[in-house]
Amino acid sequence: MTCEVLVLGAGSAGLAAAVTAARAGARVVLLERHGFAGGMGTASLVHTFCGLYLMGEEAVVANPGFPAEMEERMRGATGAGPVKMGRVWVLPQHPVEFVGIADALLEESGVTVLYHSEALRAEQDADGWQVEVAGRGGIFPIRAEAVVDASGDAVLAALCGAATATTAAARLQRPAYIFGVQGGGESGLAVAGRIVDGVRRGLLPKDALGLHFRASGRAGESFGTIDLTGAEEGDYDPLDPGCLARLEVAGRRIAATAVEFLRREAEGWGAAYVSQWPVRAGVRESRRWVGKQVLTGAEILNGTRHVDEIALATWPLELRETNRGPKLKYPENDRAAGIPRGCLIPRALERVFVAGRCISCDHEAQASIRVMGTCFATGEAAGRLALEARKPQATAL
Amino acid sequence: MRSAPSVEDVVAMLREEGIADLPAGFPAEGDLFAAGMDSMAVMQLIVVAEERFGAVIGPEDAGRENLGTPADLAALIGRRLAS
Repeated sequence: MTCEVLVLGAGSAGLAAAVTAARAGARVVLLERHGFAGGMGTASLVHTFCGLYLMGEEAVVANPGFPAEMEERMRGATGAGPVKMGRVWVLPQHPVEFVGIADALLEESGVTVLYHSEALRAEQDADGWQVEVAGRGGIFPIRAEAVVDASGDAVLAALCGAATATTAAARLQRPAYIFGVQGGGESGLAVAGRIVDGVRRGLLPKDALGLHFRASGRAGESFGTIDLTGAEEGDYDPLDPGCLARLEVAGRRIAATAVEFLRREAEGWGAAYVSQWPVRAGVRESRRWVGKQVLTGAEILNGTRHVDEIALATWPLELRETNRGPKLKYPENDRAAGIPRGCLIPRALERVFVAGRCISCDHEAQASIRVMGTCFATGEAAGRLALEARKPQATAL
Repeated sequence: MRSAPSVEDVVAMLREEGIADLPAGFPAEGDLFAAGMDSMAVMQLIVVAEERFGAVIGPEDAGRENLGTPADLAALIGRRLAS
């Protein structure tokens, strides 16, 4: 199989990169380990788009192009507009709608999608990249002129030994565990009070503190969200399948215990049940690339702009180094910061571009740029960069 | 028995524990929810109020009328210490 642009990962960033490159006429192959696109916004049930809007009185979309298009399509699908949460605007999104929008975008733009597959090996030669891909039928090669790594975990960097950075286990942002509930009753502060009371009385595990529910916009449905410690046994390591297994089990155990407790004690919860587990827990931070430029948290807080910026970062530093709730650090005067082009370009590799939560940045900046609204924007930019990197004869036509 | 906290004590607690990122001079009647406090932060608040002041805030207290401003919160903590 050959293509001009190979995109690894069909999360927010990979979807944006693949659709952008395909619309410009490139032959694009998109690899994804799940059976649908959307990543955190679908497989992990993260149900708000953060980072779509500028901070301020009005909800104004920060990045034109793909992020604005997603905003419009999601509003059309759910009928819900932006909501102010504290000082920032978010757009409620529904994972099922996200899957449908992604299917339509990929089909309309002519992307060749390969679900249920993973990249295993990658080698560069004079003409581009040879990537070996594993599916259940076996291992097969794909030739590509340029690759976009939107894997979230800097998978391509690991496969070809390129420079990466990973925050120490104790400071990694803790993972979220989000599940679907049908038939919940009282919510918000009332449920918060109940849960603290349940923990105090020893009926709920301490890790249930922080569990909260948000209506999905569909009849009877809400999403419960917990932050996990990730350190159920040993250090938190989002790249270790054993650690991830403990994480998934811990999330399900806390969620099931809490819903059972609320059925007994909370108003209107008598017939509630867990209706959906996520495909995977919501990892916020793991391994990232080291690129030509490294975006810092200080630059985001100062609202620093760059001449070669490819998108705006508009989400505050949302630190979740513990599972006791977020610590938000807001930029000075609510200014947006620029993400320079060099954060999407590896330090020493040609024809590779990075998008999404594993772009080149420090731990603090990652706490801002990881959100889906920003991933749409870095994905679109990586798709454009990959187009420019195609072989000269292809671009000359 | 511990004494009821002042509004300043409550604002200091909210800041130090990272429950709400309050600007300097945040008023006693300022809206904590508009300042970014959500139901998740409220859980932390209930735990911290018990640790710091020994006030047990029950599920029936968890409403905007009791938690909405630093002044409301100081009053609630005072009542839960007295009871």
